Amino acid sequence: MTAATIIHVVASGLATGAIYALMALSLVIIYNATRTLNFAQGEMLMMSTFVAWAVQRALGLPLVLTLVVAIVAGGVMAWLVERTIIRRAIGGTHWDVLIITVGLSLILRALAGLAWTHDEFPFPSFFPSAPIVLGPVRLAPVSVGIFGGSLALMAALWALFRFTRLGRAMRAVAQNQRAARLMGISVERMYSTSWVLAGVVGAVAGVLVAPVVFLSSKMGLIVINGFTAAVIGGFGSMPGAVLGGMFLGVLENLAPLYLPSGIRYSVPFVVLVAVLVVRPAGLVGRIERRKV
Amino acid sequence: MSLVASLLIALVALVAVGPAMAQQGVSETEIVLGCSNSFSGPLAYTGEQATRYGVDLYFKALNDAGGINGRKVRTVYYDDGYKPQEAVANTRKLVEQDKIFAVIAPQGTAPVAATLEYLEENKVPLLFPFQGSPITRGKKYVFSGMTLYDRQSKMMVDYLVGQRKFKTFAVLYQDDDYGKAFLTAYEKDLARHNLKIAAAEPVKRGVTDVSAQIAKLRAASPQVTFLVLTPGPGAQALKERQKIGWTDTVMVSSGPLTDEKYLGLAGDAAEGVEGLSLWPDPLTSDLPGVKAYRAAMQKYFDKNEPNRYSLSGYVAAMLFGEGAKRAGRTLTRETLIGALENVKGFDSGILPPLTIGADHETQKQGFWVRVEQGRFKQLTDWLKSD
Amino acid sequence: MSLRRVWPLVALAALAVWPWVAPRYFVFLASLVLVNVVVAIGLNLLSGYTNQLSFGHAGFLAVGAYVAALTTIHAPAVPVVVTLLIAGAFTAAVGLAFGVPCLRLGGLYLSMATLAFGFVITEAILNLDTLTKGADGLRVPAARLGGWPLSSDTTRYYLTAVVAVLLVAAAVNLVRTRPGRAFLALRESEIAAQASGIPVALYKTAAFGVSAFYTGVAGGLFAFVVGFLSPDAFDVFLSVDFVVMIIVGGLGSVPGSIIGAAVVTVLYDWLAAFQNYRPLIFGTILIACMLFMPGGIVRALEPLSRRT
Repeated sequence: MTAATIIHVVASGLATGAIYALMALSLVIIYNATRTLNFAQGEMLMMSTFVAWAVQRALGLPLVLTLVVAIVAGGVMAWLVERTIIRRAIGGTHWDVLIITVGLSLILRALAGLAWTHDEFPFPSFFPSAPIVLGPVRLAPVSVGIFGGSLALMAALWALFRFTRLGRAMRAVAQNQRAARLMGISVERMYSTSWVLAGVVGAVAGVLVAPVVFLSSKMGLIVINGFTAAVIGGFGSMPGAVLGGMFLGVLENLAPLYLPSGIRYSVPFVVLVAVLVVRPAGLVGRIERRKV
Repeated sequence: MSLVASLLIALVALVAVGPAMAQQGVSETEIVLGCSNSFSGPLAYTGEQATRYGVDLYFKALNDAGGINGRKVRTVYYDDGYKPQEAVANTRKLVEQDKIFAVIAPQGTAPVAATLEYLEENKVPLLFPFQGSPITRGKKYVFSGMTLYDRQSKMMVDYLVGQRKFKTFAVLYQDDDYGKAFLTAYEKDLARHNLKIAAAEPVKRGVTDVSAQIAKLRAASPQVTFLVLTPGPGAQALKERQKIGWTDTVMVSSGPLTDEKYLGLAGDAAEGVEGLSLWPDPLTSDLPGVKAYRAAMQKYFDKNEPNRYSLSGYVAAMLFGEGAKRAGRTLTRETLIGALENVKGFDSGILPPLTIGADHETQKQGFWVRVEQGRFKQLTDWLKSD
Repeated sequence: MSLRRVWPLVALAALAVWPWVAPRYFVFLASLVLVNVVVAIGLNLLSGYTNQLSFGHAGFLAVGAYVAALTTIHAPAVPVVVTLLIAGAFTAAVGLAFGVPCLRLGGLYLSMATLAFGFVITEAILNLDTLTKGADGLRVPAARLGGWPLSSDTTRYYLTAVVAVLLVAAAVNLVRTRPGRAFLALRESEIAAQASGIPVALYKTAAFGVSAFYTGVAGGLFAFVVGFLSPDAFDVFLSVDFVVMIIVGGLGSVPGSIIGAAVVTVLYDWLAAFQNYRPLIFGTILIACMLFMPGGIVRALEPLSRRT
């Protein structure tokens, strides 16, 4: 393999990894606030992207507005789901919400199939298709674009959590719910906020990645890569989610180059099992110990 | 009369009347056909088009015109998502519960191959599957619905080597019966010209990413790269090679892939692509049958764009209609098979005149195409596959 | 004779007579229900009793199915009962190999690990294609019972019914024994159980093994009943279907497993004409169950019967 090929593959890997990182961040944001896992995160991404696509086709919107539509759709859907369904189950065990989100993922997938069939569709891209030529190296603008766009969103999230009151409130709830409540923070409001935030992040990821993987009802399966990324980085840690995502993306793209091409799809699962068995705390995180 | 006696008489009556209930799937007023096909998964589009907008399109028009010998045709479909195990389960349901007369236009090499044994055991005709693996050859109850892959390969290789003088070939193939059947056929046909395949990379069924495979194939510098894939990964192959700037190879799609569908997914990466087209251009062809097909589509499904997949289903239904018509009012599986075997020079208005003989092959044709401004343009006449 | 005593007898009689009164396709469907009952019981042993929710049981089913199929292909002299035992044992070994290192993982981590495990298994089956025929699928020859091939739906049904009844009886008895009570204690509170001297790790491992054994045997039966296997059919959605069964039926309950398996299997087939709506309906049922009927059908019907 020439150096040019490897650079190209790593660039693609970083782009894919950035999407996984965004997925992982969505999962972690919800988990930190509510201690539950949203199995339907991928399907919500898929739905927001489909809605944006449908609106774009019907009204002929420019791409930037399409992104806005996706964000609004993602946020609203997340808010509705949290308030009407998840909120009711929040008193139960963490299984309950997980199972509910499993049911939700089935429902969303079926709805997408009913509305738009299970076919795959091309999605317009922000970025041109002609490769960027740097000597012998060729970089795909879409890889650079996805990476850059994701990075920008991650920076915005970091700023949100670090500098705003809302961010501090969410971090407080993540650390200790009871104390946060005593401090006057509405824990329920933080639940909704975390879901809406996750929905928005998912929507952006969806619009970025759809031109590459094509828009279809099975786009949601990307949540599994997101989960693996979050575990690699230490589930619950946001920087860990980003690192985990990048690592997974690059690994997935490099492995089939040197090993049989089919290995690509085993990578996230093998890595997940390996990390869980050997070092469940991940690269960065810490395993919680339950107090009796 | 005692209860037992009357029960016995009822039973005897039932047995006596039984045989008059004749052929499964054929009643006084209707014929029931069906198949397991893809309505989800990698072939969701092609499956939906071949059945609901292809087979059903023809039968809608036929039923409105009175049906076949006084019977209307009804179809039942189940989704197997391109999975062989599901196809077997669905087919069993169709035969045992929905009591279909025959299977028509199922799709996918692996799923169809999986159902062969069951259908043969139960003597159910398998008509015009949308697949071309030679495994269906020589089976009494099977009539092929697509030019078989070994014939396709012969046409493709003979044209590329004989007329275009290409010498180095690579293959990007789906890692199952579909891909491997083509791979073996290419190897054989190239060997006849004293050539070998320079590189071959498998792609798992159901996945879309082919970036690693394209990188590996490029390293072998082939003049021609065969794509034996479904529309998703097929389009990805075109996009990927554009991304890495690999311009000095001709991408050639296999028969089932050659349609504007995967070009549409590839966007502007689709320029210069060539392929073997098994069907005339459904949108622009002036052949009388194709025009009739377009008119029917306009009448019944005006929002649906004509494509080769629905055209193939349309022809499958047309062939069934012809066979059933000739079999007459006493329509049984045996009379249908006999009628189909006697079809000589049947003019569909779409394909060259069809003669189905004992080999049960309904199609043996194809012609060369190249993409120009987003559509496949015809380059040659019908090629020979014998 | 109380109603409680009569129920099992009536059920057994109905099972025995079924192929004589039902059309061929419903005999096949009944076999499928029985296979799913065994899987549901296996899954319930793990998830209902020891609180380890598994999203990978389709993987165990696949292992059992392929082992049984390959044994029948390559060693046709082996009697079918032994084949099923081999399938169960092999799957149990795989389950233990997986369970042991994952034991210390709690809750969500374990569930996600089972999800990954399910994928790893199907990938492995796909990649071992010289043995398993990979993506093209494997034809399962007829099982042989003492020299007679079980080549009709009815004979396969009886094999499935007998095995299922035996395994159900074993499960019912398990719950009554000391290990069974230990399982129940584990469900209530792992920490309390540990404090009472129950070796939690050992029992959790055992639960994995037994659950895998049950699912492996079910896999073998599945292979014979369905007759054709391909790895893509053993996907995460199948695992989710099994979870739906035990949620709908009732976690940690043998009657719940039976009811849940029957309801879900029949509903699944019944909705075949509405395949586009099927996941919608199943997802809604799942959510409705979690919100409004947390103990499943069994808990909802409790007022109608005496308590255990």
